[in-house]
Formats: sequence, structure tokens, C-alpha cells
Amino acid sequence: MSEKISRRDFLKLATAGAATTAVLTGCGPSSRYIKREPYMEMPEYTYNGLSTYYATTCRECSAGCGLVIRTMQGRAIKAEGNAGNPVNLGKTCARGQATLQGLYNPDRIENPLKQARGAALAKENKMEWDAAIGIVSDALAAHNPSEIAFLMGLAPDHLFDLVSDLTNVIGAPAPVRFGALGMFESRATLSKAAENLFGQSAMPFFDIANADLVISFGANFLETWLSPVAQTRGFAKMRRGNPKVRGHFIQFESRMSQTAAKADEWIPLQPGTEGLVALAIGRLAAGMGGPAPRAFAGVDPNDVASKSGVKLETLEHVAQLIVEAQSPLAIPGGAALGQSNGLFTAEAVLALNALLDNYGKTVFVSPLSPNQDAYHRPASAQEITDFIARMKGGEIKVLFIHGVNPVFELPKALGFAEALANVETVVSFATFPDETALKSDYIFPDHHGLESWGYQRSVTSVTQSTLSGAQPVVSPNYNTRATADVLIAAAQSAGGKFAEALPFKDEVEFIQSKLASLVGQTDGSFVAPEINTFSAYFQQHGGWWKTTADLAAPSASSALGKTVTIESAEFAGEGEFFFLPFVSPTLGEAGANKPWLQELPDPTTTVMWNTWVEINPETAHELHLENDDVVEITSEAGSVKAAVYVYPAIHPHVIAMPFGQGHTAYGRYATSRPAGDRFMGLVPSSKQAADVQVSPRGANPTDILGAHFNGAGDLAFAGMKVGVKKTGEKQILSRLESRIGVYGEGMGEAH
Amino acid sequence: MIKRFFEWTISPMGRIGFIIGALALFSLAAYGIAETQTAPDQPLEFRHDLHVTKGVQCLYCHPGALRGPSPGLPTISKCWGCHQQLEITNTSERLEPMREAIDPATNEPKANLIWIPVAQVPDFVHFTHRPHIAAGLNCENCHGDLSKMEIYENPQVLNMGWCLKCHKNRTEDNAANNPTNDAQVSALLAEKRLKLTDCGTCHY
Repeated sequence: MSEKISRRDFLKLATAGAATTAVLTGCGPSSRYIKREPYMEMPEYTYNGLSTYYATTCRECSAGCGLVIRTMQGRAIKAEGNAGNPVNLGKTCARGQATLQGLYNPDRIENPLKQARGAALAKENKMEWDAAIGIVSDALAAHNPSEIAFLMGLAPDHLFDLVSDLTNVIGAPAPVRFGALGMFESRATLSKAAENLFGQSAMPFFDIANADLVISFGANFLETWLSPVAQTRGFAKMRRGNPKVRGHFIQFESRMSQTAAKADEWIPLQPGTEGLVALAIGRLAAGMGGPAPRAFAGVDPNDVASKSGVKLETLEHVAQLIVEAQSPLAIPGGAALGQSNGLFTAEAVLALNALLDNYGKTVFVSPLSPNQDAYHRPASAQEITDFIARMKGGEIKVLFIHGVNPVFELPKALGFAEALANVETVVSFATFPDETALKSDYIFPDHHGLESWGYQRSVTSVTQSTLSGAQPVVSPNYNTRATADVLIAAAQSAGGKFAEALPFKDEVEFIQSKLASLVGQTDGSFVAPEINTFSAYFQQHGGWWKTTADLAAPSASSALGKTVTIESAEFAGEGEFFFLPFVSPTLGEAGANKPWLQELPDPTTTVMWNTWVEINPETAHELHLENDDVVEITSEAGSVKAAVYVYPAIHPHVIAMPFGQGHTAYGRYATSRPAGDRFMGLVPSSKQAADVQVSPRGANPTDILGAHFNGAGDLAFAGMKVGVKKTGEKQILSRLESRIGVYGEGMGEAH
Repeated sequence: MIKRFFEWTISPMGRIGFIIGALALFSLAAYGIAETQTAPDQPLEFRHDLHVTKGVQCLYCHPGALRGPSPGLPTISKCWGCHQQLEITNTSERLEPMREAIDPATNEPKANLIWIPVAQVPDFVHFTHRPHIAAGLNCENCHGDLSKMEIYENPQVLNMGWCLKCHKNRTEDNAANNPTNDAQVSALLAEKRLKLTDCGTCHY
């Protein structure tokens, strides 16, 4: 064997070896050598190796999209849209996809806790559920009903109905619903404007799908506004649904948002002049066909052009497009309404729709959901301010908080955190250790949305009356309990009128009592003769909805005859820049604790894991700012620091900042942890989440918002003027896009 | 070089050695294949015959056989559901492992019985019960008459020849499958045969 093996021989031997190995190992099934361990307790409907799918409702925001969750041997493994649900027809957004990371989040609250206000999460102060229910029961029974208050999230769900029933019977104030998304959408302004023009309090429905020209005044309807998945679907249909006409889309907004980036024409304008621009366009469009109606008579397009910074030719061009369009549509929303003159802007845009004869064509009144008596809008910031005043005045002795994180979501200037000190007992039902939960006396954790029963009304951007159903897709991971069950048990134990208000065995029985009116109804997605069959179908389909659209046309006559009083926007503060906070399309108000969403690049800037400030390159040049320079933004209400992102698609007088980061609590992913703690507490030997001093990840723009409101009581969040100061610090933002060659970066010392 | 490598096989002792080696390899393989077809030792000598003759349906314990690749094994709590009411549970020596798996304090399972699978096909076969049940086969057609089997063992070698034999038999255009000699049925059988003998039906 002293001779060398030739290449050919080597190949022969290797092949023979491989073949022998294959033959010898391939004789029997490899699974022959494994053992099989059956379940001790088999989860219901589980088949080995087969997935089970459950229809439920997404609870990440209040739009109420239907989900179908794929589960495998009792674990939820994938979220997709429910193709049957009329809100989203099988689609989801990034937040819906990431809902699993809430379910399996390592920072979930695992037990009912006695929490010391303001301290770190008191994981060791575990309570028994019986004791927890006793505390809720005592809090209810020992106080005058007027001293009890419920603060709840934006979603109009079964829990809101349950609490409404309870407060109704015992004579306590109705539960208050609030969420930052509603605040940044200016939802109250939209429904107030609809009330003024349509003569009824309702949520308008804008039929994007069937329009051939959409003009949006600040509404970022493809991102977070109202029901982004439904509107994105409508938008796609507008663009591609008709093979002959591709719908045209114009966005008036001082910053190019993701929505504006999809527009054919993005027209930046001076903040606060959106209403004027709408009236001017109406005036010009009317002038092409005859005299302008009263609502538009008092506006001078030349004046508007100079005030808004939009050229007169541009206004005429848009007016021309409107006149030529078959079914145009104008949408008011977002920052345009979050101004001191926001109500005027909303009315002006709705009046423009009336002028274009859109009522009943592309503008409707959203249908009420089944088993709903009237449209209940969430509280405006003004109403929340009144609520906080009651807290401060000691009128509220017991405060129950569910589904909302007001300490983070509300502007600091409103003083919610300070007002909590005047409330005797604060009970939080939070699933995660958020800022508000840590400032409570007790945390009685609710299940995660994928572990709970329920239903939710779909009130925005849906054509037919819809009740989306929710059911647990997995059994609860921790010692949590449904808040509805806690309240029912507490009411039973308090006895008297409390027990009368909630005479139910559990949450499911309550939900069935609310569904009873739909049994036997023949115009819905299914028909069932009695409640148990109905409930089974309700779970199977993921809800109940009418099969045909029931959109009502608002009457136009009152809208056109009305004089829209022109108001100019007022701005609070001394600074030289308009401040535009916007909701991060990926994080929303509560997505910061999900690493998928943190890792997802912002659609326009591609920044991840942090907060940035968008500044126009010209402005940045004047202020000697470059990318990643940390600036301090100061308003009348306070100041925040964040790194600069030089953004060419923003008005030079405007600086913008996303809302979604800046958490001081809310788990390891939402906060920033010391550099040495690189395993984020995931490895048992590394420090546990609670032991490590955390600092905020990014900054929260609501910290510098002042308490100013528009005519409908919504926060004038875009009505602030701020100063920008360079701090000299640098913070490198992680971005997906390359920096090389952008503004000379990475090109040596050329500039 | 490779010629030299095999030169020793030409010598008489070499030839004998080679034959011994080949025989050893062959018997090892035969033993291995036989091993896959005999009933292995189970944690508990489960009597299928007693259960079946007492009227317990197959699908009661193996619900997955109706629709999936894996029939599923009964949970210990399912066993205990019936067995805790039976006198023999306390006395039988065979049932000792089951008694041990139950916590006497709570009457709840505390440990698991770990079984060794018997009826197996190789991993490159995508077998699922569903179409077989849909074609009108019953459990005993493949698994044998379990009412007569004390400890379960395969009634035949579960190999491809056996699968194909049945696939072919059931699609042959003969008096059994096509008693009226209908042309339409013939065409249907031909199509079925094509599908049931296609490699991709089981190996994909």
C-alpha cells in the first residue's frame, strides 16, 4: 500500500463506501429506533402531526381584524388573516403577525401581584386569585358608585359591554375608553364633524375601493389610521380593481408618510392650512361649473395659496382632476385634525365631499355592529383631561385600568401619573408590566388575547355590520385570569345590585347572553336555531356578520347650506419649527415589546430599534446637523432627545418624530438594558429582567405635547412649535438602508 | 492499486474469508429486517385481544387513524378513566406499570408509559390512514385480527411489494372489481391503477 492512491481509485472507494453505508443504514425505518410517548392529558382536537386552526380576533389594535391561528400540539405557531372576516378578508398587518410574540413574551405577568406603586415589578408578591377577587369585590362594595371608575382600551369589545352593564346597574360613571391610536387619529374630531354635517353622531365610512380619485388631507390610512388593513385592501382595489382606470391618489401632508409615498402626488403644505386648501379646491372646482355654494363662498384661493405654500396652479390642477373624476373622495384625518382648527378642517373636507356629490357614492355612515344601539366613540383627550381632574380632586377612589397604558400613551402635560397618587386604590389588569401597571396597587393579569374568549365590534372601515368573535387558541400559559371572569366573580361575591348586574356563571355565559339576539337571524354569515349551535358557528367562522353591505348615505343638503367658519390654526410654544408626532406604522402604541416589530425597518426611513427625528436636509444644513446627531427638542411642555434622520421628504419648517418607543417599562425589548446584559435575561444564568436597571429605548414624543385641544376636544398634538438644539452627542441609528453616498456620507471629507 | 487491493481474494484463504464475511453481512441484514417485523418489548404487555373482544372500538384509543398519518396513542388518563373502575386493575401483575404511573393521592397521572412502535413504514414513505379508510378498508385488513392477538405483532411484512399487491388487486379490471363489465368502470379502474402505482403517490 506504499503506492499513492490515484484520483480515480479514490473516487471508486469513496463511492463503494457511501453505497455500503446507504444500504446498511437504509434497511429499516429510522423511526424504528425511537420510542413514543403519548400525552398524559391530550389537548382537545389534537391529532399527532396535524395542525389545528382556530378563528379568532386580533387584539393588537382596535380595528378588529379576523385571524386564523395555526396551532400544533397545543402551541400557537402562526397567525394569518381570516379570509371570511369582512374587515380584513384574510389579510393582516405586521402587528397582527407579531401577536404570537405577545403570547410567548418572556416578560408577561405570570401571577396576580401586590404591586408597590412606582417600584419594579413585584414578582415575589404573588397573590391567590381568591384574594384578588376579594379585593376587587371589596373595592366595588365599599365605595360609593360615583367613586368607582373604569379606564379601558380603544376596542369596543365584550369586556366594555360587561363593564357598561355593571356601571349602568350600580349607577357608576360609564367606562371611559381611550387609546393613543384614537388620539393620533383624532377620532373624536371626525365623529364630531360627521355629527355637525350629517346630523347624526357616527363614524364616516370612506369607500376608497370604489373611488377613482382619492384626496387625503393628512389621513395616513395605509399605516395606522382607523383600520389600515381594510383601507389598504380598498386602496389596492382602487388602484388595480378596475382594468380600465387606475385610481389616482393625492396626499396633502407636511411630511411624506408611508401613505404619502404611495401617492401619485404628495403635496407638502404649511401645517394647519389643510382645511383652507380643501375649501379652496372646492371653490375652484365649483367655479368650473357655476357659482360656489355657501360653504365655499368665503374663501379666496389666492390667499390660501400664499398661506399654505401650495401654488395656485397646483390647487387648480387638483380642482381640475376633481371635476373630471367620476367618483372622487376626500378624506380628513390624522395630523390635519390634530390642530387647534382640526374640527374646521374635518368639516371643510366633509363639505368638499358634499359639494362633489359624494354622499352615498363614496362617503357613507359606517354601519352599527350587531347588538349595538348607537355609536359609542372613544373618549377625546379633553374628556380624559376631565377624568384626570376628577382623579386629582379625589373624586375617584377606585380606578380599574384594562387594555390601555395611559402613563405612556397620554401626554405628560395632562398629569395622569401625578393624578394616580390621589386615587386610593388602582387595580391594573395588564398582561405585560407596562408603565401604568407598575404604578398600580394590584396587577390582576388578564389572559393574552390568544388565550381569551370574547367578541369585538368592527366600527371602522367595514361595509357591513360585523361582530368579530374571539376564542382561546391555546390554554393559558400562566396563572392569569380573564378580567371578565374576575369582575363577574367579584360582583357575585359583593352581592346585591352587583350580583344582579352580572348574573352569569362565567365570561362565556355572558358572551352568549349578548349573542342571543342574533340567534335565528337570517341575513348573516350563518343561521343557527339556538344559542349553543350559534356559539359553535360563531367560533368556527370567527364571528357573525351580515352578508350584504348596509352603508347608509348621509344627507348632503344640510352640509352645503352650512357656513363653514374659517379658522386659522394656532400654535403653542415659542420654537421655530412645527412639531409633527406620528404613530410608528410598525410599532403602534403597544408593539415595542415584540422583537419582530422592533427589528422591522420603518417603511420610509428604515430605522430600527430606536427613535429618530426627521429634519429636512436644508434645515439640517442651516442648523449644522448631520445624520445621527442627537438633538434636544424643546416645547412649552418639556424636552426630549433623539438622533437626527435627515429626510428630504418633509416640509423645511416641520420636524417629525415617531410615537411608539421611549418606554420606561414594558419588558426587556421595549426598554434598553446595560451593554453587559447581552442575553436580555433569556439565559437563566444571566441577570433576570427585573434585577437590571433599565433605561428607555428611544424617546416618547408625547412627553413634549402640551394640553391644547381642538373644537371637538381632541388633542392638538400637531399644534406645537418647538426649538431644536444640537447637543454634540452622536447616536448611530441602526438602519437598513445604506448610508454610503447619501449626503456625502462615507465619501471621505468631500463636503 | 485497486487491483492489488483485491489480490488477496484470489488466494484460497482469502476466498474463504471473503465468503464468511459476505455471509456474516447477509445474516446481519436478515436479522435486522426480521427484527423490524417482530413485536418489540413494550413497557406493559398490552392485550389487544381483551380490549377488542370487550367491544372497545379501535378509534376510541387511536383517534388519529381516521384522518392522519399517526393513529395516536391513548393518554394514560384515558386508560385510567376505565381501569380505575375495574377490579383487575388492582390485582393484575401486568398492569403494575400503569398503577405506578398514577399518583394515588390525586388519582391523576404522574408518569407516562413509553411505547415502541410496531407497524412501521420507512421514513421515505408518506403514509396516511385517511385515504385507506376512505377506500373502505378496515383496521384489520392491514393490522390483522386483533381480537385474536395477545401482543400486537405485524401480520405481514409491511414492505412495498405488499402495498403494491393490494393497490394492483383492487384496481384490476376483473369480475370482482367490475362485475357488470362496464366500460366506464374499466376506464375508472385504469385511471385509479395509474395513480395507485405511481411512485409519487407515496414517495414525494
